[in-house]
Amino acid sequence: MSDRALRLAVGAVALTGLAVAGYLTYVHYRPEALVCTSSGGCEAVQQSEYATLAGVPVALLGLLAYAAVLGLTIVDTPLTRTLTVAIALSAAGFAAYLIALQAFVIDAWCIWCLVNDVVIVPALAVLSVWRLKPVTVTEER
Amino acid sequence: MPPEPRGRSRALVAAIAAAVVVVAVLVVASVFLSGGSGTSSTSGEGGTALVDGIAQNGTVLGDPAATVTFLQYEDIQCPFCKQYTDEAFPSIVAEYVRTGKVKIDFRGLEFLGDDSNTALRAVLAAAKQDKAWQLIELLYDHQGAENSGWVTDDLIAELAGSIVGLDVERMDTDAQSAEITAEIEALAGEARQRQVGGTPWFFVGIGDAKPYPVQPQPLTDPAAFRPIFDDALAG
Repeated sequence: MSDRALRLAVGAVALTGLAVAGYLTYVHYRPEALVCTSSGGCEAVQQSEYATLAGVPVALLGLLAYAAVLGLTIVDTPLTRTLTVAIALSAAGFAAYLIALQAFVIDAWCIWCLVNDVVIVPALAVLSVWRLKPVTVTEER
Repeated sequence: MPPEPRGRSRALVAAIAAAVVVVAVLVVASVFLSGGSGTSSTSGEGGTALVDGIAQNGTVLGDPAATVTFLQYEDIQCPFCKQYTDEAFPSIVAEYVRTGKVKIDFRGLEFLGDDSNTALRAVLAAAKQDKAWQLIELLYDHQGAENSGWVTDDLIAELAGSIVGLDVERMDTDAQSAEITAEIEALAGEARQRQVGGTPWFFVGIGDAKPYPVQPQPLTDPAAFRPIFDDALAG
Protein backbone atom coordinates (compact mmCIF):
# COMPACT_ATOMS: atom_id res chain seq x y z
CA MET A 1 0.00 0.00 0.00
CA SER A 2 1.40 3.39 -0.93
CA ASP A 3 2.15 5.96 1.74
CA ARG A 4 -0.60 8.21 0.36
CA ALA A 5 -3.16 5.40 0.52
CA LEU A 6 -2.12 4.63 4.11
CA ARG A 7 -2.52 8.26 5.06
CA LEU A 8 -5.98 8.34 3.48
CA ALA A 9 -6.90 5.11 5.27
CA VAL A 10 -5.83 6.52 8.65
CA GLY A 11 -7.88 9.64 7.94
CA ALA A 12 -10.93 7.60 6.92
CA VAL A 13 -10.73 5.36 9.99
CA ALA A 14 -10.31 8.39 12.24
CA LEU A 15 -13.34 10.03 10.59
CA THR A 16 -15.41 6.89 11.20
CA GLY A 17 -14.24 6.82 14.81
CA LEU A 18 -15.08 10.50 15.13
CA ALA A 19 -18.63 9.77 13.98
CA VAL A 20 -19.14 6.85 16.40
CA ALA A 21 -17.55 8.66 19.35
CA GLY A 22 -19.53 11.78 18.47
CA TYR A 23 -22.75 9.78 18.52
CA LEU A 24 -21.87 8.14 21.84
CA THR A 25 -21.01 11.55 23.31
CA TYR A 26 -24.33 12.94 22.09
CA VAL A 27 -26.36 10.09 23.61
CA HIS A 28 -24.45 10.42 26.85
CA TYR A 29 -26.24 13.73 27.28
CA ARG A 30 -29.42 12.68 25.45
CA PRO A 31 -29.96 9.02 26.50
CA GLU A 32 -33.36 8.84 24.81
CA ALA A 33 -31.61 9.19 21.43
CA LEU A 34 -29.65 5.95 21.90
CA VAL A 35 -30.38 3.31 19.29
CA CYS A 36 -29.38 -0.13 20.52
CA THR A 37 -29.91 -3.82 19.98
CA SER A 38 -32.87 -5.45 21.71
CA SER A 39 -30.66 -6.73 24.51
CA GLY A 40 -30.46 -3.14 25.76
CA GLY A 41 -26.84 -3.40 26.81
CA CYS A 42 -25.95 0.02 25.40
CA GLU A 43 -27.98 1.79 28.07
CA ALA A 44 -26.44 -0.29 30.83
CA VAL A 45 -22.93 0.51 29.58
CA GLN A 46 -23.63 4.14 28.79
CA GLN A 47 -25.23 4.75 32.17
CA SER A 48 -22.67 2.79 34.15
CA GLU A 49 -20.35 4.61 36.51
CA TYR A 50 -17.48 3.72 34.16
CA ALA A 51 -18.98 5.78 31.34
CA THR A 52 -17.34 8.87 32.81
CA LEU A 53 -13.82 9.48 33.97
CA ALA A 54 -13.55 12.23 36.58
CA GLY A 55 -16.84 13.57 35.28
CA VAL A 56 -15.76 13.54 31.63
CA PRO A 57 -17.65 11.11 29.38
CA VAL A 58 -15.30 8.41 28.07
CA ALA A 59 -16.95 8.88 24.66
CA LEU A 60 -15.84 12.52 24.70
CA LEU A 61 -12.24 11.41 25.34
CA GLY A 62 -12.55 9.19 22.26
CA LEU A 63 -13.96 12.06 20.25
CA LEU A 64 -11.01 14.27 21.19
CA ALA A 65 -8.53 11.49 20.38
CA TYR A 66 -10.00 10.96 16.91
CA ALA A 67 -10.04 14.70 16.28
CA ALA A 68 -6.37 14.84 17.27
CA VAL A 69 -5.50 11.95 14.93
CA LEU A 70 -7.30 13.68 12.07
CA GLY A 71 -5.38 16.88 12.69
CA LEU A 72 -2.07 15.01 12.96
CA THR A 73 -2.79 13.16 9.71
CA ILE A 74 -3.38 16.40 7.84
CA VAL A 75 -0.08 17.85 9.08
CA ASP A 76 2.27 15.09 7.95
CA THR A 77 5.69 15.12 9.62
CA PRO A 78 7.75 12.40 11.36
CA LEU A 79 6.67 13.84 14.70
CA THR A 80 2.94 13.83 13.84
CA ARG A 81 3.21 10.20 12.66
CA THR A 82 4.82 9.22 15.97
CA LEU A 83 2.17 11.10 17.91
CA THR A 84 -0.56 9.39 15.87
CA VAL A 85 0.89 6.00 16.77
CA ALA A 86 1.08 6.99 20.45
CA ILE A 87 -2.58 8.05 20.45
CA ALA A 88 -3.71 4.98 18.51
CA LEU A 89 -1.85 2.57 20.80
CA SER A 90 -3.16 4.38 23.88
CA ALA A 91 -6.66 4.04 22.47
CA ALA A 92 -6.08 0.35 21.78
CA GLY A 93 -4.88 -0.30 25.33
CA PHE A 94 -7.79 1.61 26.87
CA ALA A 95 -10.24 -0.10 24.49
CA ALA A 96 -9.02 -3.47 25.78
CA TYR A 97 -9.73 -2.28 29.33
CA LEU A 98 -13.22 -1.09 28.30
CA ILE A 99 -13.97 -4.46 26.69
CA ALA A 100 -12.91 -6.20 29.91
CA LEU A 101 -15.19 -3.88 31.90
CA GLN A 102 -18.15 -4.77 29.70
CA ALA A 103 -17.39 -8.47 29.97
CA PHE A 104 -16.57 -8.82 33.65
CA VAL A 105 -17.80 -5.79 35.58
CA ILE A 106 -20.79 -4.18 33.87
CA ASP A 107 -21.93 -7.51 32.45
CA ALA A 108 -23.52 -5.89 29.41
CA TRP A 109 -22.39 -5.20 25.88
CA CYS A 110 -22.78 -1.93 24.03
CA ILE A 111 -22.71 -2.62 20.31
CA TRP A 112 -21.54 0.91 19.43
CA CYS A 113 -18.71 0.64 21.94
CA LEU A 114 -17.72 -2.75 20.52
CA VAL A 115 -17.63 -1.39 16.97
CA ASN A 116 -15.27 1.26 18.23
CA ASP A 117 -13.17 -0.96 20.54
CA VAL A 118 -12.93 -4.06 18.35
CA VAL A 119 -12.92 -2.64 14.82
CA ILE A 120 -12.08 1.05 14.56
CA VAL A 121 -9.43 1.40 17.26
CA PRO A 122 -7.43 -1.71 16.26
CA ALA A 123 -7.64 -0.65 12.59
CA LEU A 124 -6.31 2.76 13.50
CA ALA A 125 -3.48 1.23 15.53
CA VAL A 126 -2.42 -1.13 12.74
CA LEU A 127 -2.58 1.52 10.03
CA SER A 128 -0.76 4.17 12.03
CA VAL A 129 2.04 1.77 13.01
CA TRP A 130 2.25 0.66 9.37
CA ARG A 131 2.84 4.27 8.35
CA LEU A 132 5.97 4.30 10.52
CA LYS A 133 7.47 1.35 8.65
CA PRO A 134 9.82 1.84 5.72
CA VAL A 135 8.26 2.14 2.28
CA THR A 136 9.28 -0.84 0.11
CA VAL A 137 12.35 0.10 -1.90
CA THR A 138 13.79 -1.82 -4.86
CA GLU A 139 17.54 -1.93 -4.46
CA GLU A 140 19.64 -1.17 -7.53
CA ARG A 141 22.70 -3.31 -8.10
CA MET B 1 6.63 12.14 5.36
CA PRO B 2 7.78 9.01 7.16
CA PRO B 3 10.62 9.25 9.71
CA GLU B 4 14.13 8.41 8.53
CA PRO B 5 14.86 4.64 8.71
CA ARG B 6 17.08 4.94 11.80
CA GLY B 7 14.47 7.02 13.57
CA ARG B 8 11.57 4.70 12.78
CA SER B 9 12.20 2.09 15.43
CA ARG B 10 13.06 4.84 17.89
CA ALA B 11 9.75 6.56 17.08
CA LEU B 12 7.84 3.33 17.54
CA VAL B 13 9.49 2.65 20.91
CA ALA B 14 8.71 6.22 22.03
CA ALA B 15 5.10 5.87 20.91
CA ILE B 16 4.69 2.55 22.72
CA ALA B 17 6.24 3.98 25.89
CA ALA B 18 3.92 6.99 25.74
CA ALA B 19 0.92 4.74 25.14
CA VAL B 20 1.79 2.54 28.13
CA VAL B 21 1.92 5.61 30.37
CA VAL B 22 -1.34 7.04 28.98
CA VAL B 23 -3.20 3.73 29.32
CA ALA B 24 -1.93 3.28 32.88
CA VAL B 25 -3.10 6.78 33.83
CA LEU B 26 -6.51 6.26 32.19
CA VAL B 27 -7.10 2.87 33.81
CA VAL B 28 -6.02 4.05 37.25
CA ALA B 29 -8.22 7.14 36.88
CA SER B 30 -11.13 4.98 35.75
CA VAL B 31 -10.78 2.61 38.69
CA PHE B 32 -10.40 5.30 41.32
CA LEU B 33 -12.46 8.15 39.90
CA SER B 34 -15.28 6.15 38.36
CA GLY B 35 -16.21 2.67 39.46
CA GLY B 36 -13.86 2.32 42.36
CA SER B 37 -14.85 5.31 44.41
CA GLY B 38 -18.62 5.47 44.23
CA THR B 39 -20.24 8.60 45.61
CA SER B 40 -20.98 7.55 49.12
CA SER B 41 -18.73 7.72 52.09
CA THR B 42 -20.33 4.57 53.45
CA SER B 43 -18.45 1.33 53.03
CA GLY B 44 -21.26 -0.57 51.34
CA GLU B 45 -20.81 -2.63 48.19
CA GLY B 46 -22.54 -0.29 45.80
CA GLY B 47 -23.17 2.99 47.61
CA THR B 48 -25.83 5.25 46.21
CA ALA B 49 -24.34 5.99 42.79
CA LEU B 50 -27.00 3.91 41.06
CA VAL B 51 -29.82 6.23 42.07
CA ASP B 52 -27.98 9.50 42.60
CA GLY B 53 -29.13 12.23 40.26
CA ILE B 54 -32.45 10.55 39.42
CA ALA B 55 -35.63 12.46 40.31
CA GLN B 56 -37.44 11.19 43.39
CA ASN B 57 -40.89 11.99 44.66
CA GLY B 58 -41.61 10.24 47.91
CA THR B 59 -41.07 6.55 47.26
CA VAL B 60 -41.10 7.02 43.49
CA LEU B 61 -37.83 6.94 41.59
CA GLY B 62 -37.73 8.39 38.09
CA ASP B 63 -39.21 10.96 35.80
CA PRO B 64 -42.66 11.95 37.17
CA ALA B 65 -43.82 12.28 33.55
CA ALA B 66 -43.15 8.59 32.80
CA THR B 67 -46.50 6.92 32.14
CA VAL B 68 -45.30 3.44 33.11
CA THR B 69 -44.85 2.79 36.82
CA PHE B 70 -43.18 -0.35 38.17
CA LEU B 71 -44.40 -1.13 41.68
CA GLN B 72 -42.03 -3.13 43.84
CA TYR B 73 -43.38 -4.73 47.03
CA GLU B 74 -40.29 -5.38 49.10
CA ASP B 75 -39.12 -6.05 52.61
CA ILE B 76 -35.66 -4.65 53.32
CA GLN B 77 -34.82 -7.88 55.17
CA CYS B 78 -35.83 -10.14 52.30
CA PRO B 79 -32.75 -11.83 50.75
CA PHE B 80 -34.44 -12.26 47.36
CA CYS B 81 -35.15 -8.51 47.32
CA LYS B 82 -31.45 -7.90 47.88
CA GLN B 83 -30.52 -10.33 45.10
CA TYR B 84 -32.91 -8.60 42.74
CA THR B 85 -31.59 -5.18 43.80
CA ASP B 86 -27.97 -6.24 43.35
CA GLU B 87 -28.31 -8.08 40.06
CA ALA B 88 -31.27 -6.99 37.94
CA PHE B 89 -32.17 -3.59 39.35
CA PRO B 90 -29.01 -1.73 38.16
CA SER B 91 -29.72 -2.58 34.51
CA ILE B 92 -33.38 -1.66 34.92
CA VAL B 93 -32.41 1.71 36.36
CA ALA B 94 -29.87 2.32 33.61
CA GLU B 95 -32.08 1.27 30.74
CA TYR B 96 -35.56 2.36 31.80
CA VAL B 97 -35.42 4.78 34.72
CA ARG B 98 -32.48 7.03 33.87
CA THR B 99 -33.79 7.22 30.34
CA GLY B 100 -37.14 8.54 31.62
CA LYS B 101 -39.18 5.63 30.28
CA VAL B 102 -40.29 4.06 33.56
CA LYS B 103 -40.59 5.20 37.16
CA ILE B 104 -40.31 2.79 40.09
CA ASP B 105 -42.43 2.92 43.23
CA PHE B 106 -41.06 1.26 46.38
CA ARG B 107 -44.02 -0.28 48.20
CA GLY B 108 -42.39 -1.23 51.47
CA LEU B 109 -43.59 -4.10 53.66
CA GLU B 110 -42.38 -5.20 57.10
CA PHE B 111 -43.84 -8.65 57.58
CA LEU B 112 -40.52 -10.34 58.31
CA GLY B 113 -39.99 -8.79 61.72
CA ASP B 114 -38.80 -5.89 63.84
CA ASP B 115 -35.74 -5.12 61.74
CA SER B 116 -38.04 -4.77 58.73
CA ASN B 117 -40.21 -2.33 60.63
CA THR B 118 -37.28 -0.18 61.78
CA ALA B 119 -35.82 -0.12 58.29
CA LEU B 120 -39.13 0.67 56.61
CA ARG B 121 -39.84 3.50 59.06
CA ALA B 122 -36.49 5.06 58.18
CA VAL B 123 -37.06 4.58 54.44
CA LEU B 124 -40.53 6.14 54.51
CA ALA B 125 -39.20 9.01 56.62
CA ALA B 126 -36.37 9.56 54.12
CA ALA B 127 -39.00 9.49 51.38
CA LYS B 128 -40.48 12.63 52.88
CA GLN B 129 -37.21 14.30 51.85
CA ASP B 130 -37.09 12.46 48.51
CA LYS B 131 -34.05 10.45 49.62
CA ALA B 132 -35.67 7.05 50.16
CA TRP B 133 -33.86 5.31 47.32
CA GLN B 134 -30.40 6.20 48.59
CA LEU B 135 -31.31 4.68 51.96
CA ILE B 136 -32.86 1.59 50.35
CA GLU B 137 -29.66 0.97 48.36
CA LEU B 138 -27.50 1.39 51.47
CA LEU B 139 -29.71 -0.84 53.62
CA TYR B 140 -29.57 -3.65 51.06
CA ASP B 141 -25.79 -3.21 50.90
CA HIS B 142 -25.67 -3.80 54.65
CA GLN B 143 -28.40 -6.42 54.91
CA GLY B 144 -27.80 -8.82 57.82
CA ALA B 145 -29.30 -12.12 58.88
CA GLU B 146 -33.07 -12.02 59.22
CA ASN B 147 -34.22 -10.57 62.56
CA SER B 148 -30.72 -10.64 64.00
CA GLY B 149 -31.10 -7.07 65.17
CA TRP B 150 -28.92 -5.76 62.36
CA VAL B 151 -31.04 -2.64 61.76
CA THR B 152 -29.69 -0.70 64.70
CA ASP B 153 -30.10 2.99 65.40
CA ASP B 154 -26.36 3.32 64.86
CA LEU B 155 -26.57 1.70 61.42
CA ILE B 156 -29.47 3.92 60.39
CA ALA B 157 -27.60 6.98 61.68
CA GLU B 158 -24.43 5.97 59.82
CA LEU B 159 -26.20 5.26 56.54
CA ALA B 160 -28.51 8.27 56.69
CA GLY B 161 -25.59 10.50 57.65
CA SER B 162 -23.80 9.56 54.46
CA ILE B 163 -26.68 10.66 52.23
CA VAL B 164 -26.07 14.14 50.93
CA GLY B 165 -28.98 16.50 51.54
CA LEU B 166 -30.82 14.28 54.03
CA ASP B 167 -31.78 15.92 57.33
CA VAL B 168 -31.15 12.96 59.64
CA GLU B 169 -32.72 14.53 62.72
CA ARG B 170 -35.91 15.25 60.82
CA MET B 171 -35.86 11.74 59.40
CA ASP B 172 -35.52 10.21 62.88
CA THR B 173 -38.46 12.25 64.16
CA ASP B 174 -40.63 11.41 61.15
CA ALA B 175 -39.75 7.71 61.43
CA GLN B 176 -41.46 7.54 64.82
CA SER B 177 -44.53 9.52 63.77
CA ALA B 178 -48.10 8.25 63.71
CA GLU B 179 -48.22 9.28 60.06
CA ILE B 180 -45.53 6.74 59.16
CA THR B 181 -47.31 4.07 61.24
CA ALA B 182 -50.49 4.76 59.26
CA GLU B 183 -48.54 4.67 56.01
CA ILE B 184 -47.09 1.26 56.88
CA GLU B 185 -50.54 -0.08 57.71
CA ALA B 186 -51.92 1.30 54.46
CA LEU B 187 -49.12 -0.38 52.48
CA ALA B 188 -49.81 -3.71 54.19
CA GLY B 189 -53.51 -3.33 53.45
CA GLU B 190 -52.82 -2.49 49.83
CA ALA B 191 -50.57 -5.57 49.54
CA ARG B 192 -53.30 -7.78 51.01
CA GLN B 193 -55.89 -6.34 48.68
CA ARG B 194 -53.60 -6.89 45.67
CA GLN B 195 -52.84 -10.42 46.88
CA VAL B 196 -49.11 -9.90 47.10
CA GLY B 197 -47.81 -13.39 47.74
CA GLY B 198 -44.29 -12.61 48.92
CA THR B 199 -41.40 -10.30 48.25
CA PRO B 200 -40.27 -9.04 45.92
CA TRP B 201 -43.62 -8.84 44.13
CA PHE B 202 -44.17 -6.63 41.14
CA PHE B 203 -46.99 -4.74 39.44
CA VAL B 204 -47.02 -2.56 36.36
CA GLY B 205 -49.16 0.55 36.18
CA ILE B 206 -49.82 2.38 32.94
CA GLY B 207 -51.13 5.89 33.44
CA ASP B 208 -54.14 5.85 35.77
CA ALA B 209 -55.14 2.28 34.91
CA LYS B 210 -55.27 -0.34 37.65
CA PRO B 211 -51.79 -1.93 38.09
CA TYR B 212 -51.49 -5.51 36.96
CA PRO B 213 -49.21 -8.15 38.51
CA VAL B 214 -46.14 -9.45 36.67
CA GLN B 215 -43.84 -12.31 37.60
CA PRO B 216 -40.46 -11.97 35.92
CA GLN B 217 -38.18 -14.99 36.34
CA PRO B 218 -35.41 -15.22 37.27
CA LEU B 219 -35.40 -12.15 39.47
CA THR B 220 -31.68 -11.75 39.01
CA ASP B 221 -31.76 -11.43 35.23
CA PRO B 222 -32.56 -8.03 33.69
CA ALA B 223 -33.56 -9.87 30.50
CA ALA B 224 -36.58 -11.27 32.36
CA PHE B 225 -37.82 -7.73 33.00
CA ARG B 226 -37.22 -6.15 29.60
CA PRO B 227 -40.24 -7.70 27.81
CA ILE B 228 -42.46 -6.53 30.68
CA PHE B 229 -41.27 -2.94 30.33
CA ASP B 230 -41.23 -3.02 26.55
CA ASP B 231 -44.81 -4.34 26.41
CA ALA B 232 -45.97 -1.70 28.88
CA LEU B 233 -44.21 1.05 26.95
CA ALA B 234 -45.76 -0.16 23.72
CA GLY B 235 -49.13 0.34 25.41
